[in-house]
Amino acid sequence: MAHNASAVSQNEEVTSTRRVIAASSVGTLIEWYDFYIFGSLAKIISEQFFPKDNPTAALLATLATFAAGFVVRPFGALFFGRLGDIIGRKYTFLVTLIIMGGSTFVIGLVPGYAQIGFVAPAVVFVLRLLQGLALGGEYGGAATYVAEHSPADKRGFWTSWIQTTATFGLFISLGVILIVRQSLGLEKFNDWGWRVPFLLSVFLVAISVYIRMKMSESPLFAKLKKEGKTSANPLAESFQKKDNLKMVLIALLGATAGQGVVWYTGQFYALSFLQNACNIEFVQSNIIISVALIVGTPFFILFGSLSDKIGRKWIMMAGMIIAVVAYRPIYTMMYDMGSVKKKIEVKDKTVVEHKAELKGADSLKTTITKKTFEDGTTYKEVKKEKFPVDPVKKAELAAAKKLKPDVKKETTLPQDIFYKMIGLVFIQVIFVTMVYGPIAAFLVELFPTRIRYTSMSLPYHIGNGVFGGLVPLISTRLVEATRLTPDTPPTDPLAGLWYPIVIAAVCFVIGSLYITNKPTDVDVE
Amino acid sequence: MSVIKKLFGIVWAAMGLGIIPLVVMRAMQEIGAKPTEENWIFWSIVIVVLMPIISFSLITFGVFALKGEYDS
Repeated sequence: MAHNASAVSQNEEVTSTRRVIAASSVGTLIEWYDFYIFGSLAKIISEQFFPKDNPTAALLATLATFAAGFVVRPFGALFFGRLGDIIGRKYTFLVTLIIMGGSTFVIGLVPGYAQIGFVAPAVVFVLRLLQGLALGGEYGGAATYVAEHSPADKRGFWTSWIQTTATFGLFISLGVILIVRQSLGLEKFNDWGWRVPFLLSVFLVAISVYIRMKMSESPLFAKLKKEGKTSANPLAESFQKKDNLKMVLIALLGATAGQGVVWYTGQFYALSFLQNACNIEFVQSNIIISVALIVGTPFFILFGSLSDKIGRKWIMMAGMIIAVVAYRPIYTMMYDMGSVKKKIEVKDKTVVEHKAELKGADSLKTTITKKTFEDGTTYKEVKKEKFPVDPVKKAELAAAKKLKPDVKKETTLPQDIFYKMIGLVFIQVIFVTMVYGPIAAFLVELFPTRIRYTSMSLPYHIGNGVFGGLVPLISTRLVEATRLTPDTPPTDPLAGLWYPIVIAAVCFVIGSLYITNKPTDVDVE
Repeated sequence: MSVIKKLFGIVWAAMGLGIIPLVVMRAMQEIGAKPTEENWIFWSIVIVVLMPIISFSLITFGVFALKGEYDS
């Protein structure tokens, strides 16, 4: 009888565990999805919401908006972290979910720059800031909530489910974009179809809010609240008391900064590198990343679980140092396989088509070049030159160097190189899982319950939002700096890797020296 | 180990201090040579957001390390 009662109790515990993990993870997953569709659609958003006469400024403006979404995350961490430590985890991360879902949905409704002028980018900018704020509050809440439910010897395993959500969110956002794009066709997608992934978010958020409403408060926080021991001023306690501030600093400089750059390099920079440095075709490059992500995702659980056995520190440090050493060789291989510069062309398969047409007072000349290479790679270049029919105006524009052709390059890889490329991105995803899988448990164990939400959220979001989130902007800049003239290609397409390499290397040294590999069955208080 | 931690404290604090003039000078050079909107946005993000975080955290961390706060 006693045996039966114990079995029933164990079953209930397992069900309750699954419910806690599922409810927390699904909400966090949706928040990541919302956040990443903006990044994944950066090019289209720049065309829709920013002035079209200067495409570089438009793209940079989008990147800045993208960065703003990341940079504002630490403020969300402070604001919602404080709320979570005062009123509770459950209600706080319910609010962040609603703000995120609402902002994403509204982005899908905002008319473009062509319709409402400068109001359009301004509204999108504000909505992006709201997304960043909400995300800043979400992750710490979910990680804290799950960790405070979990047994001490399984904290790494339990929280690693939360860690899968960021990668899964990116995977789903890429998947939804690809499906909508393929179903509608490129023209309709660029015109209005890009709004669909944003609008879809409202349904996902509604489901998640419903699930979260049914959850109970974290037991550790509920106990603290009942005893009247919650913090009255979590911000002051977290950052003005030396004992806690030094832990915040070690978390940032010894773990999250390096983890952030490894995370963004392995997922975002890899995609940007495939599309911009190697010119890999849009669908193929997204499939490469998506497959690598989905195959790599179980490793978050593996490394989270392993950290329960051998400690968090050395798994994270190993991920960082291997990434530092391996990035340049990996990206050199990616460049050699993806770029057509070093490939041998099959000359008799080259096709060049010319087309000229009149568009009002302008003449549009289109040249399409299709090349095939010996390894089976195909390359397509579409060059569009638009100039006034009036020779005087044409000469004026030429003198002002305003007659730059619009060139679009697309490389399609043969199957064997395509699989090798997936393998190289997958290796980077493994680095990501090593640094990211154990980090929620590591952060939770650094801080006490009364200020945990605030204290762990800030270093996490500075590490990921600022150090990691700026990877695309800074890396693009480093590559651009290697151009000898504005019209020549970069001399070092791998220069962008120096930023993540240096940050991860410094973080590795600090983490290895100063972080203690604690026993992993400690109770959090 | 504790001596190494303390000595490295000096390195971190020096790095945090050294980054400030390096970044500011580089920004002035680049913006001066090419005062485009692109340059202004990029360097504003670096100087207003990234540099203060790196400098403040490295200097404070270095001072803590030097004082032996991370010995235990």
